[in-house]
Amino acid sequence: MLSIFKSIPTHMDYKGQKLAEQIFQGIILISAVIGFVYGLLIQQFGWTVYIVLAGFAVSCLLTLPPWPIYRRNPLPWQPVVAEPSGEPIQKPQDNTKRKKHK
Amino acid sequence: MVLVWEKMLSSLTCCCRSIRKRVTGKLVPKASPAVYGERQGTPWTGRQSIARQHRALLNMNTVLSRANSLFAFSLSVMAALTFGCFVTTAFKDRRVPVDIHVSKVMLKNVDDFTGPRERSDLGFITFDLFLYLSAEYATKSNSLNQVVLWDRIVLRGDNTKLNLRDMKSKYFFFDDGNGLRANKNITLTLSWNVVPNAGILPLVAGSGHMSLPFPDQYEATKSY
Repeated sequence: MLSIFKSIPTHMDYKGQKLAEQIFQGIILISAVIGFVYGLLIQQFGWTVYIVLAGFAVSCLLTLPPWPIYRRNPLPWQPVVAEPSGEPIQKPQDNTKRKKHK
Repeated sequence: MVLVWEKMLSSLTCCCRSIRKRVTGKLVPKASPAVYGERQGTPWTGRQSIARQHRALLNMNTVLSRANSLFAFSLSVMAALTFGCFVTTAFKDRRVPVDIHVSKVMLKNVDDFTGPRERSDLGFITFDLFLYLSAEYATKSNSLNQVVLWDRIVLRGDNTKLNLRDMKSKYFFFDDGNGLRANKNITLTLSWNVVPNAGILPLVAGSGHMSLPFPDQYEATKSY
């Protein structure tokens, strides 16, 4: 059953992550301000908490699932190169080269 | 938040350069000014950044990390709101005029008295009130005694005008010794505790109080 959850794609690109962070911070801050003012008007702190929780739920809905607006700038990966048979030999040489560099 | 951490790390590495010079005695090569947009760091170092572009390094690629940062942020915001709530209501004055009359005093067992009339004002954060009526008097052995005669809890949402009549005292009014008889002056005061949602727990005394003298003789037990 876990394979179903793993197969759902949940990644966003970097600009999308930044956008998502800005969105949820903005929503929670706005709902906090509205909730504080409303609670101060009617003199009940419970309403402040309810409004902030509603803002939390809305921002959960907007930023947790990877909507398409967060995937507009995908990373430009290199195209897949057909692997020749000599490929696995090259890899340990690469590793030693990089170690010397360090 | 991430920017502050990165500044701290970069200042640490600058310190490291001077320490290395002192230790080895050699000139340590200074990093050449980076080209704008050049990628620094390697996949094996912990941080990678793009030179001269101030960019917060986010780590929100999975749902769990996004949910984690969202939840932590909303919790911090809630804490700030609670502090604001405490600031706005902790300093209100909570004295309320109180009217106490005593109708009958029987020294032996109970006090019947017409209770206080009170108009209370529950603010932004109060959750409930804890009322109690106390009597103060002075005796030969102790200069001040305070005895609680009666208390009551008022929850949020009950009618705030309390009109209590003919309440009997809930607790016995004992005195060590015989100080109650012929005591010239007993003061009954109604005070209350306001239990807040957030903040300190103030103890407020009502502004009305009433003094009365107690009778001289003990009541004889009535036989029926």
